[in-house]
Amino acid sequence: MLKNDLILRNPLRQLGFETEDILPAGAIGAVLSHAGVGKTALLVQLALNGMLRSQNVLHISLNDPVNKVNLWYSELFHHLAGRYEGAQINSLWESVLPHRFIMTFRVESFTVPKLEERLSDLTEQGIFSPTMMIIDGLHFDESRRSDLNALKALAVKNGMHIWFTVRTHRHESAGLDGLPVSFSAVAGLFDLVLELQPERADVHIKLLRGSGSTPAGSPLLLDPSTMLIKDKEL
Amino acid sequence: MSSTVEKVRNIGISAHIDSGKTTLTERILFYTKRIHAIHDVKGKDGVGATMDSMELEKERGITITSAATFCEWQGHQINIIDTPGHVDFTIEVERSLRVLDGAVLVLCSVGGVQSQSITVDMQMKRYKVPCIAFINKCDRSGADPFRVIAQLHSKLGHNAVAMQMPIGLETDFRGVIDLLSMKAFYFEGENGEQVRSDEIPAELLAAARSKREEMIDAASLFSDELTEAILEESPIPDALIMDAVRKGTLLRKFTPVFLGSAYKNKGVQPLLDAVNRYLPCPADVENTALDLDHEEALVDLLPDSSRPIVALAFKLEDGAYGQLTYVRVYQGTLAKGAVIVNTRTGKKTKVGRVVRMHADQMEDIEAANAGYIGALFGIECASGDTFVSPGINLTMTSMFVPKPVISLAISPKDNKSQINMSKALNRFTKEDPTFRTHVDEETNETIIEGMGELHLEIYVERMKREYGTDVETGKPRVAYRETITQRAEFNYTHKKQTGGSGQYGRVAGYMEPITEGEDDFIFDNQVRGGSIPTQYIAACEKGFRQCLAKGPKMEFPVTGVKIVINDGASHAVDSSDMAFQAAARGAFREGYAKAKSVIHEPIMKVVVETPTEFQGGVMGLLNQRRGMIVGAQDEGPTTVVEAQVPLGEMFGFSTVLRSSTQGKAQFTMEFALYRQIPQSIAEKIAEEVALRKKSAA
Repeated sequence: MLKNDLILRNPLRQLGFETEDILPAGAIGAVLSHAGVGKTALLVQLALNGMLRSQNVLHISLNDPVNKVNLWYSELFHHLAGRYEGAQINSLWESVLPHRFIMTFRVESFTVPKLEERLSDLTEQGIFSPTMMIIDGLHFDESRRSDLNALKALAVKNGMHIWFTVRTHRHESAGLDGLPVSFSAVAGLFDLVLELQPERADVHIKLLRGSGSTPAGSPLLLDPSTMLIKDKEL
Repeated sequence: MSSTVEKVRNIGISAHIDSGKTTLTERILFYTKRIHAIHDVKGKDGVGATMDSMELEKERGITITSAATFCEWQGHQINIIDTPGHVDFTIEVERSLRVLDGAVLVLCSVGGVQSQSITVDMQMKRYKVPCIAFINKCDRSGADPFRVIAQLHSKLGHNAVAMQMPIGLETDFRGVIDLLSMKAFYFEGENGEQVRSDEIPAELLAAARSKREEMIDAASLFSDELTEAILEESPIPDALIMDAVRKGTLLRKFTPVFLGSAYKNKGVQPLLDAVNRYLPCPADVENTALDLDHEEALVDLLPDSSRPIVALAFKLEDGAYGQLTYVRVYQGTLAKGAVIVNTRTGKKTKVGRVVRMHADQMEDIEAANAGYIGALFGIECASGDTFVSPGINLTMTSMFVPKPVISLAISPKDNKSQINMSKALNRFTKEDPTFRTHVDEETNETIIEGMGELHLEIYVERMKREYGTDVETGKPRVAYRETITQRAEFNYTHKKQTGGSGQYGRVAGYMEPITEGEDDFIFDNQVRGGSIPTQYIAACEKGFRQCLAKGPKMEFPVTGVKIVINDGASHAVDSSDMAFQAAARGAFREGYAKAKSVIHEPIMKVVVETPTEFQGGVMGLLNQRRGMIVGAQDEGPTTVVEAQVPLGEMFGFSTVLRSSTQGKAQFTMEFALYRQIPQSIAEKIAEEVALRKKSAA
């Protein structure tokens, strides 16, 4: 029951996408923002939403150790399920956990062939086959083009979709398409680009590129106190 | 003996397995002239390290019990507790931390912050023990102390700051640069006993200056005077920096980091200086006791030798000299001839001999003053007991003792062994609160319980070696539990009329799962209007409690149940305590049958550190064992795989892991939580239980 409730409450549906996952299999998407605005929080919520629907999520972090990533999930989950009874939440948490796998790499040693090798370690032994992958902490510029192409091919091959976080810098000016210059070189590869923009007390989730639509008058927000997605301004 | 409390340090040395704690302790004892030759842990001379006094420890190259020893360095008296590294023995680590004022966290410069270091660090946090870090094995290939410092930040959240810099690394490791005095130190002589100070090599000078600046910056947070000195750009006196670092360390907001290689005799003396400089003396640490005369109100203890005695027995040892009780004196003076009272038993004793221990040799002393660690002879007590002067009734806060998760049936091979086995068990259970023993009523077997396979194995070995007891062991058994998942009502009448006076009692109410908190059992009496007379309520509770030891489902202990009774009936003549106990037992069975009971099993947090090429295989192994892999962390040449695996599937894992990784992977395991078992496994367990019962009958 709780599970269905949590899925229904998922305000991401408001972004107006046709599929629950927002991204179809084989597609790649990006979430852009300055440091500390909530990229990871947003993606972890997408991941939790997938896990609640029994989809396997592979979370790859290039910055944080496993424990810290795990903390993101448990904190956001418990916030999300906050109004329900303790025992129920815990048993649901236990039941969604097997749908998640965290892998961390050091930024300098991360390569796509290495990731591919690790992934096949998991899938071939039947340990874990992801339908969604999150890559948190990759740096973007033109030199990443070949990596991104390879990752896209990986997504198609494994029938999954991949989300990236893209950190933008305040000193960097936006190009004509509203994307930061360094990112716009590779932006064409992405099927969907979301941006998080702090405005007054809230963080707005804006669609920069992609096929969804945000219904006018009801912007999607990230609550800075809980980092949860919400659909109304306070 | 130095008598001022400012010059006393009670420290522990704790770390991950094989980081070199025992080797480091050995060197410390050598340099402080407590021992006159160095014996390595797995040395060819067959003597073994001094601190590993138990034969078994020498053979396995691990430290099982924490021997307490003392030494003197630069006019300071340092009491060292050598703590075991394996998680199975963490009760020892916990007990040591309880009585320590400070600790040296030893880390391997190659392995970095490993899983066990994280556990130990959490324990230090719990007891608020300030620490300094020592990055050992800088001579090993792959050594990178600054990576380890970064890990101290990222994994343990320490504000770790290098106080030294290495001169060369790996095979080229020659000495250390002290960033405080800006001098290079080399360790010469056969055993590195001569410390030669020299100018910093020119090529390292710039790096040393910038590291020194970083260090002073970090320290300035704890001293306004230091900040002022920096702003005025005046020369900064060493004492000012030392004061600031000490302040930060005592607050646990600054972790000074030192480097070296104990095995190669490098960097140990500066570490000893650091122990004296930065770790707290007993007076720096607040210790409190509970006053039993005033509803356990907190009482501050002052390390004042003239006040009444308060001392804690933190370790018992039954050795060649009879029973030895290690005590930490918090207040007063524990002198020969003093009268002390054991708060738990109320027994009065006169102190016979007071000794100071040095691994397995000892030295008689007149008295142990406040702040000191000593040992007493012939005192009847259990570990964790508090001793006080007559007239006061204080107890040190109870120590956290985890519940055992694994059990093993043992039986002596012959009659002689039978007697010795009970002697051995009696002693082990007194020494180690996580080790328990009981006799199974049905099978009549002696069961020992503990914190892991190795934990029990070690005790079986010790029985053989120290008591000459040969025992046969059964298959280890996991401590399963039963609990309920939904609310269920009960209304049970116990009625018997078989000659003599009858028995009558009716108990009604409901049971439900406990959702919050750690309680195993809650009994709530909501009977109004005396439908069950007050004098029988206690009997009802007793009846319910009797059912907890063996659950109706598979005879595992029942936990997490709240019982509420709200109605009942009694009979003026036929009701009795016995009748209500029986009624409660019936009510429990009635409710339990409807409450959808399930079996829970202990889940262990398993952390495997493996060379990256084997990580796929390791994950496969964990997966086969019903493990849920939480994540895989890339640590350069190694990968750390963290998983949650049912304890029942972990038997023999170390052998399998060794053979599939060419012995290069190691793992640690600790209890994480209880979780419901899958149906298919529950059926298997039910079969096993049935089989066991049959064979017992």
